[in-house]
Amino acid sequence: MPAPSTFDPQEVVDAQYQERKPRPGVTTKRAICTTCDVMCSVVTESKNGRVVRVRSSDNPIFRDNICMKGIVAPKGFANPNRILHPLKRVGERGSGEWEQVTWEDAFADIGSRLQAIIAEHGPEAWAVSTSQWNTGTDHGLGRRIMNHIGSPNWTSGVALCAGNTAAINRYTYGWFPASDYAKTKCIVLLGHNPSRHSWTPVYNAIRQAQARGAKLIVADPRRSSGAERADIWLPLKVGSDAALLFGWLKVIIDEELYDKDFVENWTIGFEELRQRVDEYPLERVAKLTGCDPEMIAKAARMYATEGPSIIPWTPITDMQRNSTSAIRLQCILRSICGYLDVPGGETLQGFPPDLINESLIEMHHVLSDEQKAKQLGSDKHPAFTYRGQERFRAPTKKVYGQEYANIVMGCYLTPPSALFRAMAGEGAYPVKAFFFLGNNPMMSYPNMKLIIKAMMNQDLIVAHEQFMTPSAQLADYVLPADSWLERPFLLDHFGAASLIRISEKSMEPPGECRSTFEFWKGLAGALDRQEIVPWDTLEDFYDYRLEKLGVSWEEFAATADVYFAPPEFLKYRKTGFATPTGKVELRSSSLEELGFDPLPYFREDPPVDPDYPLKLFTGVREDGFFQTGHRHIEEMRKRHPEPLAFVSPGTARQLMIKEGEWIEVENELAKISMKVAIKDAMPDGLVRIPHGWWKPEMKQGAGHLSGALEYADAQLCRDDEDFLDQEQGIPHLKGVPCRINKVTQDGASAETVAEVEYA
Amino acid sequence: MSAREREIRKQARSAKLIAIMAGKSSRNRSLSDKICRFLVNRATAVKPEDDFMRDPLIDNDVGFDPDELDRFQRGEK
Repeated sequence: MPAPSTFDPQEVVDAQYQERKPRPGVTTKRAICTTCDVMCSVVTESKNGRVVRVRSSDNPIFRDNICMKGIVAPKGFANPNRILHPLKRVGERGSGEWEQVTWEDAFADIGSRLQAIIAEHGPEAWAVSTSQWNTGTDHGLGRRIMNHIGSPNWTSGVALCAGNTAAINRYTYGWFPASDYAKTKCIVLLGHNPSRHSWTPVYNAIRQAQARGAKLIVADPRRSSGAERADIWLPLKVGSDAALLFGWLKVIIDEELYDKDFVENWTIGFEELRQRVDEYPLERVAKLTGCDPEMIAKAARMYATEGPSIIPWTPITDMQRNSTSAIRLQCILRSICGYLDVPGGETLQGFPPDLINESLIEMHHVLSDEQKAKQLGSDKHPAFTYRGQERFRAPTKKVYGQEYANIVMGCYLTPPSALFRAMAGEGAYPVKAFFFLGNNPMMSYPNMKLIIKAMMNQDLIVAHEQFMTPSAQLADYVLPADSWLERPFLLDHFGAASLIRISEKSMEPPGECRSTFEFWKGLAGALDRQEIVPWDTLEDFYDYRLEKLGVSWEEFAATADVYFAPPEFLKYRKTGFATPTGKVELRSSSLEELGFDPLPYFREDPPVDPDYPLKLFTGVREDGFFQTGHRHIEEMRKRHPEPLAFVSPGTARQLMIKEGEWIEVENELAKISMKVAIKDAMPDGLVRIPHGWWKPEMKQGAGHLSGALEYADAQLCRDDEDFLDQEQGIPHLKGVPCRINKVTQDGASAETVAEVEYA
Repeated sequence: MSAREREIRKQARSAKLIAIMAGKSSRNRSLSDKICRFLVNRATAVKPEDDFMRDPLIDNDVGFDPDELDRFQRGEK
């Protein structure tokens, strides 16, 4: 932190020098990079109508929030393999034979075929999967159309990343909080490792907080870069996060480090929680997590006494067998330590200010109760489905002013595995039409083999995409999508925070690429339901969304880089919490009503299978890529030419594998090829698998899928009940049993070398 | 009022002031906006030697040439 200096008014007069002056022939626009879901505010520079550079924002509050993926975007979107025109399949599904058609002809055929499927099987036979940072301008319009047509079967990658956290947070205190990095005194990272080129603004915020004196606690099996900077590093066993948090609660409750006034006045179920926590003495927690009990206690005390502290959202606990309990335990820690809705803690901000929010646009009220009840997976794993979220309607109306709050798009989802089973003909009813937008579903959910079977069993598949992904290769139609350089955008921070940001359109989309807004508007027209999307243009739609502010999109975008609502704290003192009891539910009445344990618990791993003695974890991003994207960008591939499996030096020695050697990683479902990377930071017995690998340059079509069948981690991700979270039905990706096979030079399996017992 | 309550109120006032300043700084049009911009800029600046966000890949990026991108898009080397 720089030392304070004397204020000199002349410096204000001269301050303009800090702004970058426009360069001759260069047009600048303020944009939001949606290369990943962190969404940095940046500036684009264009020449001759084309974006040639992306740089960091001139606004000091967004200083340096840009990474390698952002700066290479102009070239990534100029790739000659980008899909520029609508394509219709003409051969067998997956044959790779396409013909170019017009948007109008495509929509006419899609509309009539979708209507025929709905007439035969019902509207619930139509399912959609999206990733909304990729699609950008969806803004709830897809759900709006589905709700009017009558289908509840919408899913997304947010089912196992952030969206599910938002939904589970509601069970404890009714909303998904935002962490106040600016004023916090202690940060806890559970397996998460933001770095200069991944989660850049979060990394920036953490480093600023540390420079200010805030403590950092990292719980991670790896000695990550974050762990090396931490005040306390807890090297826990992979997937044991919930057990660790039980240990923290044991210390905090036993030593009475919690906020007694808050617990007494604003929570229910503390005594039952205490009894449950007593089942986790530190000796047991140490055994479950592999961590030193003294260090567990030290970290717990630091969290409880150095505060206000934050446990920012982490994708790691979104993807575990005990996900619901691990998320709930984080909520409980925030609550009983008095960190809810205070400066420096976790703030409950409500809907974005002065904006017609996406939950309203989605119009969930028009979907009948009968159709909501048909949502696949809601019988066994209801936590983030309509059924699971039903009890929050009235309290959300009372506290936040409307019944439906689809926070982070994660509160009314179909659990993905239930959806794909139905698509494969193994569900309660058939699903025969599948649309995916900005999403590569085959590689984004567990059990890729099932998803391929499901897709091959469809009557109609429509993809809205920029590139011919493995999933798009199995579609009937691939419709060309625009990019964040080529459209305006209004960011409402996933419907859960009190600020709005804008992104100006920087260039015209190439070829016939269209926005998601135009996709949904076209589909509504093709279904003879134009009235569902009545706005002529995206800008008209934004004018509608900004009505409460009394400004047009054009005016708003010209003046508001970012729009804040004044922060308010301790709002629950006036309104209560948006739970059925109005209190923080340490013991969840809603989970109990759904037939689940109302208190958190820890489900241990199944017994070790001697055939698969290692454990793998996946879901980790590589700096040059986001999810399954960006493998087509030469500059990024030079950094990551091949998929790398990380192992410790000890594991490499025991398995007799060498740096750079090709291996197979195998489990009951499949085997994939990786190159070995030996990392000191890895613990013995653990294999890190990169997420989302395929190679656009490899052969396309069924049976090949551009290398996805060779490299994609989704093939190893299990979705049997032992490996699903019970309440949500999302997969356990942090500790899946596996083994490593050596391969011969011709690529065939030579022998299994992982017959080593790991404790 | 407890000491903790007083501290929360103090921090809440500070957070509101920061939000107002950040909003005005982002607008950056009037003189008061520009004063806020200056103050926010100064408060968030880090000495080059302590700047954890410096990165040669980012700092040395000059972007692309439009003709180069045109040729690339057409599949020409």
